[in-house]
Amino acid sequence: MAPEAARSARLNARPAARGRLVPQAARLAAPFLGALAICSAAPAHAAGGDLAASVHPSFLPDALGARTAFTFAFRLQVAEEGVPPPLRRMVVHLPAGLGVNLDGVPACGVGRLRRSGPRGCPPRSLIGRGHATLEVHAGSQAIPEQALAWALRIPDRGGRPALALFTRGTTPLQQQAISTATLSPDGPPYGLKITVAIPAIRTVVYEPDASITSFSLTLGAVGTTPRAHAAAGAVTVPRRCPAGGFPFAADFSFADYTTSRATARVPCP
Amino acid sequence: MTAGARWVVAVLCAAFLLWAAPAGAEETVSITEAGFSPDKLGVPTNAFGRATITSTAGPVPSPIRHVNVYGPAGVTLDLRGSGVCNKESLERLGTQACPANSRAGFGGGQGIYMIGKELVEEEYTIDFFLADNRPGHVSLLVYLTGSKPVSIEMVFPPAPVIQGPKPYGLGFSVEVPEIKVLPEASNASAKSAFLTLGAHNVAYYRMVHGKRKLFHVKGIILPKSCPRGGWPVASQFSFEDGSTVMAKRTVPCPRR
Repeated sequence: MAPEAARSARLNARPAARGRLVPQAARLAAPFLGALAICSAAPAHAAGGDLAASVHPSFLPDALGARTAFTFAFRLQVAEEGVPPPLRRMVVHLPAGLGVNLDGVPACGVGRLRRSGPRGCPPRSLIGRGHATLEVHAGSQAIPEQALAWALRIPDRGGRPALALFTRGTTPLQQQAISTATLSPDGPPYGLKITVAIPAIRTVVYEPDASITSFSLTLGAVGTTPRAHAAAGAVTVPRRCPAGGFPFAADFSFADYTTSRATARVPCP
Repeated sequence: MTAGARWVVAVLCAAFLLWAAPAGAEETVSITEAGFSPDKLGVPTNAFGRATITSTAGPVPSPIRHVNVYGPAGVTLDLRGSGVCNKESLERLGTQACPANSRAGFGGGQGIYMIGKELVEEEYTIDFFLADNRPGHVSLLVYLTGSKPVSIEMVFPPAPVIQGPKPYGLGFSVEVPEIKVLPEASNASAKSAFLTLGAHNVAYYRMVHGKRKLFHVKGIILPKSCPRGGWPVASQFSFEDGSTVMAKRTVPCPRR
């Protein structure tokens, strides 16, 4: 990796004013831990018409300054068992001090990813895994679809580290989508933000695009034992915890031009 | 002619026109869009189409009683891996009663009816399920729903897949029952309709010898060739007033 790229790959979620990057030369391998996360935040719902958004961040382990598997999950719901509008953009705000280190993580070209899927990418470009639930309102039915998600490093965009979120659903529709994300500094009380652009997920002619109703992704890992499902990259829990816990937030923008915001706090260890 | 006499003639003319209009009413059906997605020769596809229905008599076309939809010659069906839905269960429990692998398509449109002198428009949706998936016996269940301003749910009689007249191929034939959303309302008519049928990219898990196996349903398969000028498709609508209209359209051949 070029030195410039290596620098841009190391980001620490400190307030932009402080700006110092925390080196974390870790290459960690770990299982997908989302379901086992022991430190979960009390979700907060955001009002946006009848749409309720909630975010559920967690660290495993949650010791200050420790390498961790960071799981970020969200849920979008509307009243009366409806389907939320398709999500187009999401900005996830991470607490100051959270370290995300992509040192030595090779990038996978988006074209290659689109052609061959995650298997066509360098194994160490995989930095996280997760799952999503999608729904489409076709005819009179709300039809759900489960999808698997992979987070991979892709070439930097505008000098900022970039990720691709590759999601693949199998049934009832075999469908895949690639969302792209960039990491950049954020203002207090946050330190880093991840801006995700989500493409339209087509279903069938005349019927709406699919909507994401829930999503969970685990980045980073703990332990060093290589495993088949190892993920590269490292996330570290901030060394200090503000009163009230680590703050998280997410801004959601939908295809119908509505927006919603959800916040949550992970309690201090 | 005196002013009074002119007034009488005008009223008589108006009355005659009002009386004569229904007798001379004519429904017009236009297929505004038709196609296949993807449109590649010999591949599983989704067939889609959209039509509008108008009447010379006014804003409310005569209610539809029967529809035959004809696809191009050479289209085949491969329903291996699909399931079927039971009509009685669909009537009793709604779409929840139908297995996911019995879904055959979706549709909808704009309906219209009169309550007293008031025109009421209502959006409706259609869900298509397979009632029978055996080759040569294939039929569809049509489940119609509307919710605003009046809630309605209705299952049509099974719609068999049929062989259309030349130059058409497979199609299906739908008997449309009287649709009365309220006792005091006129029979509902359709101003527009759209549908998508097929199983492109559709797959379902099934248990085979105790193991979960993914089955790909092919559904509608396009012909391996396309006649010069494109694939002819058509819809034949029969209305409550006894009239029948055949609407035709040509789907351009896929680009090579």
